[in-house]
Amino acid sequence: MAEPARQEGQARERPERVSALPGWVASIAAWVLPGLGHLLLGRRGRASLFFLLVLAAVGIGYALEGKLYTPVPGRPLTVLATLGAMGMGLPYFLLRFTAGYTGDVAAPGFEYGTAFLLSAGLMNLLLVLDAWDIASGRKE
Amino acid sequence: MLSHFLLMVLYALVLSVFFTALWRRNRREQVRLFLQLFLGMVGGGLLIAWLMYPFPSGPPAPLP
Repeated sequence: MAEPARQEGQARERPERVSALPGWVASIAAWVLPGLGHLLLGRRGRASLFFLLVLAAVGIGYALEGKLYTPVPGRPLTVLATLGAMGMGLPYFLLRFTAGYTGDVAAPGFEYGTAFLLSAGLMNLLLVLDAWDIASGRKE
Repeated sequence: MLSHFLLMVLYALVLSVFFTALWRRNRREQVRLFLQLFLGMVGGGLLIAWLMYPFPSGPPAPLP
């Protein structure tokens, strides 16, 4: 009686893998480009929607000239904010290193733009975790 | 475009759609969660703004 219960417990802890794609590959893909992890996992509809939503947040933040966080020495919270913003993946590096974008503190939409840019990064980090869960069979 | 209210609604819309797609699969549950999130954010923002209305705005914050 104890054996089946133990097996059931193990099955609950370690769900059967439903995807051939390893979780770490799906997660890295999801981080690099918003929605790519879901696309590789066969969730085309959600992949398109997530891509559009995260890119829309980045685009609005950019249009409002919000702050794209970079680490400032002596201000440890900027490191956390930078990690959060870097969650958006490729768009962060394109904006920061290719376009040289940092934001304009004097812009009227600066605060809102900062919220949009930071939220885009945090949303994509949630997509990374979601892709991991789907690849490992914890979620549909 | 730079209306505070419009930007707040836009922000609430983007986040509500995102979390609805992330957390719910059933269409009925999606509609319910979307309305809860969207109305909660917009309504909550308006409520906080209304509560803060009597307070003086004070001097402008210094540039960081």
